[in-house]
Amino acid sequence: MPKCLVCYKWTLDEKDIKIKPADSSLDTARAKGKISDFDRNAIEEAALLVEKQGGAVHALTYGTSAVKQSLKDVLSRGPEKVYWIADASADAADACVTANVLAAAIRKLGSYDLILCGEGSSDVFNRQTAVRLAALLSLPCVTYVEKLSIEGDTVKATRKLDEGSEVATVKGPVVVSVLGQINKPRIPSLKQVLAASKKPNEEIKITDLGLKPESLQPKSVHRSVKGFVTKRKNIIYKESSAATNVAKLTSSLAAEGLR
Amino acid sequence: MSLLTAEQQEIKKTTREFVAKNIIPNAAEYDKKGEFHAFLLDAARESKIFAMAVPKEYGGLEYSALTQGLVLEEWGYGCAGMGTTLAASILGMDPLLVAGNEEQRQRYFDPIVKGGIAAFGLTEPAAGSDAAGGKTTAVRSGDEYVLNGSKCFITNGGYASVYIILAKTDPTKGVKGISAFIVERGRPGFTVGTVDHKLGIRSSNTVELLLKDVHIPASNLLGKEGEGMKIAMMTLDIARPAIAALAVGIAQRALDECVKYLQKRFPDKLQPGQTLQFKLADMQIQVEAARDTLHHTLQLRDSGAPFSEESAISKALCGDVAMAITTQAVSLMGSYGYTSEIAKLMRDAKIMQIYEGTNQIQRLVISRAVLAPAPAAGAAQKAGK
Amino acid sequence: MNFQLTEEQQLIEQSARDFAKEFLDPIAVQLDYTGEFPKAVIAELANHDFLGLHLPAEAGGAGAGFVSYVAVIESLSRSSAAVTSIINNQAMASYAIQTWGSDAQKKQYVRAFIKGETIGAFAVCENGPTTGIGPDALNATKTEDGYVLKGTKAYVRNAGEAGVYVVFAVTDAADPNALTAFVVDASAAGLKVGPRLNTMGLKGCPVAHVVFDDVKVPETAVLGSLKAGREIATRVLALASVAEAAQTVGIGQAAVEHAAAYAKQRVQFGKPIATLQAIQTLLAEAATDCYLARLALRAAAQLVEDGKPFEAEAAIVKSFLARLGSKILVDSCQVEGGMGFSESMPLPRLFRDIAGTTLLDSPADFPDYAIAASIA
Repeated sequence: MPKCLVCYKWTLDEKDIKIKPADSSLDTARAKGKISDFDRNAIEEAALLVEKQGGAVHALTYGTSAVKQSLKDVLSRGPEKVYWIADASADAADACVTANVLAAAIRKLGSYDLILCGEGSSDVFNRQTAVRLAALLSLPCVTYVEKLSIEGDTVKATRKLDEGSEVATVKGPVVVSVLGQINKPRIPSLKQVLAASKKPNEEIKITDLGLKPESLQPKSVHRSVKGFVTKRKNIIYKESSAATNVAKLTSSLAAEGLR
Repeated sequence: MSLLTAEQQEIKKTTREFVAKNIIPNAAEYDKKGEFHAFLLDAARESKIFAMAVPKEYGGLEYSALTQGLVLEEWGYGCAGMGTTLAASILGMDPLLVAGNEEQRQRYFDPIVKGGIAAFGLTEPAAGSDAAGGKTTAVRSGDEYVLNGSKCFITNGGYASVYIILAKTDPTKGVKGISAFIVERGRPGFTVGTVDHKLGIRSSNTVELLLKDVHIPASNLLGKEGEGMKIAMMTLDIARPAIAALAVGIAQRALDECVKYLQKRFPDKLQPGQTLQFKLADMQIQVEAARDTLHHTLQLRDSGAPFSEESAISKALCGDVAMAITTQAVSLMGSYGYTSEIAKLMRDAKIMQIYEGTNQIQRLVISRAVLAPAPAAGAAQKAGK
Repeated sequence: MNFQLTEEQQLIEQSARDFAKEFLDPIAVQLDYTGEFPKAVIAELANHDFLGLHLPAEAGGAGAGFVSYVAVIESLSRSSAAVTSIINNQAMASYAIQTWGSDAQKKQYVRAFIKGETIGAFAVCENGPTTGIGPDALNATKTEDGYVLKGTKAYVRNAGEAGVYVVFAVTDAADPNALTAFVVDASAAGLKVGPRLNTMGLKGCPVAHVVFDDVKVPETAVLGSLKAGREIATRVLALASVAEAAQTVGIGQAAVEHAAAYAKQRVQFGKPIATLQAIQTLLAEAATDCYLARLALRAAAQLVEDGKPFEAEAAIVKSFLARLGSKILVDSCQVEGGMGFSESMPLPRLFRDIAGTTLLDSPADFPDYAIAASIA
């Protein structure tokens, strides 16, 4: 009967983001929020485990005030309770800050048999949060998980590596980060959506976590985010000799700044 | 409707009888199967209706433009799919009237007079509204041309005896590098590709044409090299009113079906009253206006006057009217309309706004004419047309 | 005044979108081609609580309001309006039984509807431009232990697949405008479903005439009470107008998006045709009509949810779309030119479907009367 905690991020849905033609900056005005894709898999995995063998699933998130929009969505997908930390610091937070905040919250919430995260977020995909979190909590960490089971206090995880798979058996509590192929997140039924309003959510104030200001200082800074659009030049080199065409191509590329 | 001569009235009557006998009873079945109506070519052979645009000296009927319009309206009334076969065959032979020399006309009109059909091959995947964007090529080789490329959405393509194919003889000259060629069925390398299943005019045959090293004699070139687009545009000016005629036929059919239905529903008189009555009146206004505009265009052509702008106006108007009236008919007849041939009318009408130049292209032609500087003298004469 | 869906309604809508993508998109084309009743999809709809969406929780439904209902119908209709036609017509029957049915009728049918075990059909006489009584109207003659039904119901959707029919009959020849509603099980002796009609679109939702050849029904088959039928029919049809409008908006939205995506990649005259003003006008007008229709139908749905009178607003939505609904598809097909006429692309199917959701049951004068009556 595992007690699971899923950490998730509320991100912008990338399909709603437009690129401004003038300077390639991003127009996010009409972008809706969504649970980061692999985090959705993590929530689903926890829900499946608990539906099969009993236990409990809680969810935890750290973000800006926008996270309040995520609560019902998350609760419609299996967790019985969601904890949320909303703070402006989340806007510039990197994986280091995120892990600091989540770890501090988890220390307050008590012990879990299994802490799940998505392998990386939809927007940044650093893949650091789970690992940093485990280190801060002094817990083992298993990453790139595509299959997961838990029996008693033992977690068995299949990791998808570049060359083949590896099965790791770990005695819990453990932090696990999952890949998208681990499961297919449910489409919440209408009853599940409506039941979500009746489930509890609890705010954790960041000021109650006892974090030093340095812990909220990101180590990496985003200077700007720009989109790119493939622009076709539509130039055809059609001289009679291949050598001439190649020469023309290479000088064009050099003129574009490619060396 | 224009005042018709006795001869025109007679032709209209016999056409109506032909349509009632051969087309109307079979329309639904061929629409459902989506199969070409080869039987119709046999049925029409004796009357030579497929040769109605062919000059008498070659064995055709040489009907005036207005008379052709009467025939096509009756065919459109019976079935737009079958009407399209006729209209598109005429489209496929109009280039010979525009630019064919004596020898070409004799050769080309012969199979048509004998009951075959023609096809016009302009459209390609890259050349829709941008008709000059085609990639099919024709390379001169001795006293032959060799054609390579493909065409799509070609009406009658699977059954025609003769085709007009537009191809690039000089890719560096853009629009002025396109030429028009006669290609006969059976030339090695000239094959029919996939058949398109369509929303409407389902019994009309719409196919891909594939050309792989198709050799044709140089004498198959229409006009001169580089005149292809000019020939195509002049052809379309002639052919567009044919589509307008089909569209008027569809619209009239839809209106007639509404009247029949309401008279059956409300045998004593039209009830519940004004709303329906006025809807019928509006439909009648549109059909009559569309027909009159079309007939004016046809009369201009018959008189030898310029008619490009009017051709575009009538095609755009009649196509839009057909779409509006058939939609209204389905609405008026409710579930009966939705489960009967009335629905076919609405499906058939849609293409009238698209083929032989979308109604957006027609509007480009019209606006250009409207915005063109007025001629200094003779403007008053034109206004009095 | 809030024109946005609530958070919950948005989640419901998102579930419907995801469902459509997973279960409807893969079968929509084939369904249109074969017209075969999509049993597997019905089962999945039931699993996701879509069949009991509007029914109260105590009856086993999801108890979501009418605004959620129309948002779901719109989302699902973007993928397959044939399926939403099945849902809407079933919902008419299930709503009627849940609202006016006896305990026995509710017990027999409502949960079965919700679970997708029984399909429902709602058969109002549809013989012409008005929902009036025609010569084929169903007659119900009183007998010792019930009624004998004789006559025909025309163009019944879900006919043949339905396990139960809610039908309307004349019980008193001297008062032919007074209708009584009956709940008739499909297994009743003498109930004959005619051959399936060939519909222009919405293929997959079966339509047929249903003949009642001296069908005996017990007294308990009456829905509501004697002569309450017109009231029931009027209310259900008004709700159905709004639900159908949601289908139209869904189909229209799908068409606009497809046409826009096509226009962005279709290059003619050296540029994507989406850069041409003519194309932009077509798309803009279609998008405008979808947007306005959506607002209007949601406003009407909110009135329903609030228990306020909504018949005039429902008629307004219906009238608006009767005039402009098919234009959305005529113009979207136009954007795609020859491709918009080829059944290898989705627009022709959407064209055929929208003709069924926007033009029918919209008797030429009926909605306008309701609107005019509310003003003058």
